Amino acid sequence: MSAVLKAVNLVKIYSGGALPVPAVRGVDLEVEEGEFVAVMGPSGSGKSTLVHMLGGLDTRTSGEIWLDGKRVDTLSESAWALLRREKVGFVFQFFNLVANMTVADNVELPALLAGISPKEARERRESLLAALNLGDRADAAPAQLSGGEQQRVALARALANKPSVLLADEPTGNLDSRNTRDVLRLLGEVHKQGQTIVMVTHDARVASLADRLVSLFDGQIVDDGRITRRRTGTAGEVIDLR
Amino acid sequence: MRPHLLALLAKEPAHGYELKQALEQTFGSAYPSPNIGQIYVTLGRLEKDGLVRSVDVEQSNRPNKKVYYLTAKGRDALTAWVEEPTEGPRVRDEFFMKLVLAPLTGIADRMALISRQRRHYLSLMADLNDLLSGTDPRDRVAGLLIEGAMLHLQADLDWLERCQEDLA
Amino acid sequence: MSTGMSTVRAGRRWIAADLRARKGQAVLTVLLVAGIVAALIAAVTLLEDGTNPWRSLFAQTNGAHVWLYTKDRPPDEVGAIDGVTSVAGPYRSAPVTVALGGKKEPAGLRALPSQAPQVARPVVTEGRWLDASQLDGAVVERSFATALRLRPGSSFTVIALSGERHTLYVRGIADSADQGFYPEWTPGLAWVLPPMLDRIEPMLGRSEWVTGLRLSDQEAAQIVSQRVVVMLEDQLQRVYTWREVRAAMELDNRLLGTLLALFGVVGMVAAALALANAAGGRVLGQLRDLATLKSMGFTGGQVTLLLLAEHGALALLGIALGAVTGWAGTVAVLGTTSVAPMPVLAIVGGTALVVLAAVGLPAWRGGRTPPIPDVPAAPPRGHLSRLARLALLVRLPPALVLGTRDAFTRRLPAFLTAFGLAVPMMMITIGLGVWSTLDNFLSHPEQVGQHASLYVRPGKLDSAQAARIAARDPGVRAVYPGTDVNALAPGEARSVRVRALGSTTTPYPFPVVEGRMFARPGEALAGQGLLDLLGVRIGDRVRLTVGGSPLIVRIVGRAVEPDLDGEVLSVGLDSLAAKDAVPPEYYALALRPGADPGEVRARLLAASGESLDVQRVVNPADRLSVIRVVIVALIVVLALIGLANLLTASALGLRDHAFDLAVLKAMGLTPRQVMATLVTGTGLLVVVGVAVGAAAGVSMVTGLIDLQGHTSGVGAGIGRTPSALTMTLAVLVAVGASLAVALIPARRAARAQVPVTSR
Repeated sequence: MSAVLKAVNLVKIYSGGALPVPAVRGVDLEVEEGEFVAVMGPSGSGKSTLVHMLGGLDTRTSGEIWLDGKRVDTLSESAWALLRREKVGFVFQFFNLVANMTVADNVELPALLAGISPKEARERRESLLAALNLGDRADAAPAQLSGGEQQRVALARALANKPSVLLADEPTGNLDSRNTRDVLRLLGEVHKQGQTIVMVTHDARVASLADRLVSLFDGQIVDDGRITRRRTGTAGEVIDLR
Repeated sequence: MRPHLLALLAKEPAHGYELKQALEQTFGSAYPSPNIGQIYVTLGRLEKDGLVRSVDVEQSNRPNKKVYYLTAKGRDALTAWVEEPTEGPRVRDEFFMKLVLAPLTGIADRMALISRQRRHYLSLMADLNDLLSGTDPRDRVAGLLIEGAMLHLQADLDWLERCQEDLA
Repeated sequence: MSTGMSTVRAGRRWIAADLRARKGQAVLTVLLVAGIVAALIAAVTLLEDGTNPWRSLFAQTNGAHVWLYTKDRPPDEVGAIDGVTSVAGPYRSAPVTVALGGKKEPAGLRALPSQAPQVARPVVTEGRWLDASQLDGAVVERSFATALRLRPGSSFTVIALSGERHTLYVRGIADSADQGFYPEWTPGLAWVLPPMLDRIEPMLGRSEWVTGLRLSDQEAAQIVSQRVVVMLEDQLQRVYTWREVRAAMELDNRLLGTLLALFGVVGMVAAALALANAAGGRVLGQLRDLATLKSMGFTGGQVTLLLLAEHGALALLGIALGAVTGWAGTVAVLGTTSVAPMPVLAIVGGTALVVLAAVGLPAWRGGRTPPIPDVPAAPPRGHLSRLARLALLVRLPPALVLGTRDAFTRRLPAFLTAFGLAVPMMMITIGLGVWSTLDNFLSHPEQVGQHASLYVRPGKLDSAQAARIAARDPGVRAVYPGTDVNALAPGEARSVRVRALGSTTTPYPFPVVEGRMFARPGEALAGQGLLDLLGVRIGDRVRLTVGGSPLIVRIVGRAVEPDLDGEVLSVGLDSLAAKDAVPPEYYALALRPGADPGEVRARLLAASGESLDVQRVVNPADRLSVIRVVIVALIVVLALIGLANLLTASALGLRDHAFDLAVLKAMGLTPRQVMATLVTGTGLLVVVGVAVGAAAGVSMVTGLIDLQGHTSGVGAGIGRTPSALTMTLAVLVAVGASLAVALIPARRAARAQVPVTSR
């Protein structure tokens, strides 16, 4: 298997303030095709900065980023933007649907951007929303949806172009447990269909969906390994009902 | 397990195997069900203490089976159990002892311990996730039990993070 | 499948959605821009039509650019001069005097065929053109007919040089661009058929020939007229070009141009401001959406283009709508289809450029949004500003202190609020300055060269008699003898006006704004236009030719000169050669304070038995009443823009504020106190904005008007700032209105239930 996404000695130092603040200090990471990687770590450990860099939303200070076998860290901001259209899907904590556009428009926009004909974009949107159980909300404004629904739309939007990698930054950070469960189920399904996912999260339940855990601490990877499943566990291993 | 069996018998008299089935039905796969031997041993003790009585019921072409029912003393004991305040779960955390003591011996470093533990917890969480998705959503008892376990695990993970920030 | 096409498609979707989401605001923006453009076009066209009728007359009559008067019929070579496309005439023309109701007016009778010519064709507005069946019919030029109160069908008497009288009947009244209007341009003009002219003036030697040349390029008029001068030499009586005709017709146009250009600038800045504020506020409000767009794959440049396209399209729509409305309105009012193309194009193009530039900045800002949508805005610095500490020190109530603190902690909204008010306020101040400049024209005409309010020409009397009658009148304070002559400037084919008025010992009080008044013969004052034309400065000597004799003067000062593009040299009568100066052509009468020019004129006419020709000076400000309407309209538009800006800015500020407000309420501030806090915060910015705007306006207004005056030949020195009382009132009204507007969102915010936790 080839690495879809690769980071080599990635460093990010914020030098805006009086003192330069290192956020990411030499991260090496390879994400295989179809892999679901959870990135955890205390706040301030640089996990958001890392995914932002991997998607080109933030510039790296040094190091390399490879996407689909091509080096991309040297790209300009504009070139990154063009690359994102087809290769990177983003899901954010606050959903970030374009407030003025309907749910349908939000989901069709990336497809249109990728040069797909309006007719095909509509078909794609219809099937995506139907799969997410949002078919009847196509003409609603984002503000009319619940948080969970908004995040599902955001997920649909991120997946509209079948990106090489889906980057998610705390996708359930702003949801209650019911909505979290809905989004989790979706992520699991998408992953089962072979979608490569890199996800930053605080939520252990969300992280446990992944098949690999990367722990960041102080801008460095302190642990990187599989999350094994025994499929025999019960609640009794945590709670002893006397 | 004594009060659990008393509670089930308060509903209706039953023999040992019926009690095992009732427990399994209530918790589903979320909780490991007790083996039948354990149940008979407990019933024997309850009978010795005068909390339950048993009668033999004849069965055609099978050995007789013992049907247990609650005595008045048993009902009192059950009432007392329900009414007394319940202690919260007492966490016996072996890992924390390892985390504190192991580095002193030079056998392991804390960061490695924490990382390994975190992955273990996440494996547990992943199992619970699978368990939950395999549980009938209408089975609220099982569902709540799994969610409770998950929340405890989340707390363990958060504690782990605090340990990492402060000890490592 | 190009990335360009796909971006356009996606961008269009976004723009459509954004416009749909804020229909009201978008419509308001379009209407605001349209209103400004329409007002500008209407104002320019109305003023242009009222003050510069030449352009449309010339177009209607297919006029000739160069007119030449010769003793004999000019040779055909005149028509062969380079650049001449067609020739009007030559027509025979005879000088006559029109006698009508005791008045006698000089006129030129011109012989035209019954078939009106193609070039320089008089356009009949009433009655009919000449016809062979009615030999004693005449068509009279409109301004001349108006001066004589002639209507189609009325008759008048012409007296030929021989003294012979003929009666003519008015067949029609026609517009013409052949010469200026009567009585500014004499003699008046009337057309008869050639046989009739032969009958009235049979002597060829007493008539002259008039020829008009139509050119392919109007700018070549100067060169062609020089060729004519060289070709015809002694034959030539005089030659003039369309420029002189236009100048004669437009009169005060220089001054109007000055004010108009100022309005144009004001209007464009207003439009730009409205747009910049609308677009800027919008962009600030949707930074998160823009970041999201970038995370989805829009580049920074594309986001900028997107915003530019959206807001620019609104602006251009507004401009188009405004242009059509302005044009339609003007056509409806004036009833002509001719709208001066140059000013309208300048307005449309200028507004488009200015407005796009204004939108460009917020668009660029939007394009530079970082693509990470969730970066929270940097929290405002919470420390008390110096002003707030001062407020604490003087023990102001807590709401005021908090408001004072708020005013300056959020820099961008603070700047938007203050700036959004300062610019309209500045513009309003400039408008008021123009108003008071006009007032100054009316109340102090002497400061713009109109010390005298009546001009007396001897008419039938002799000059000394006229002076005596004038001096005897109790309303007259001073009588200045004067003569206007044309002089040839060195190297210039056209002549400049030399105005000899008063003497060096008792000089006419010209408004000298630079240098000094002339004190002895041989010294002169010049208008700015003349200084520019000859390329001389105060202190220089110039040599002119008046009727063949040289006139050498030293320019010792500059006077405000609203006439003739400022190309006027003013001297004492004793500086002219006696042949030109004696007797004086006219007398300028300065009246005593309080004397009514109309009454004095009536008395003078009565005293002279209607023999004197007494003319009232037309104050340019009298013709500028249209401008006052425009000023009022502009002030209203500007005030609305300022208030709209304020609303935008304070809404933006409130959105940032909602969280703080909840905290303030939780701390125990009553809604009234919360409102007071908000109003104090806005109020301080309002005061700062209005004060800065007013100060900037006052400091700019004289400079701007004078700059305009300079470039238009009038010269600096006419600008006036609004009076202190006017400014105080304006500032108070502005602050009051702003506070009233600021109260609306503050009230709503103070009453709103804002949950503390949700962000």
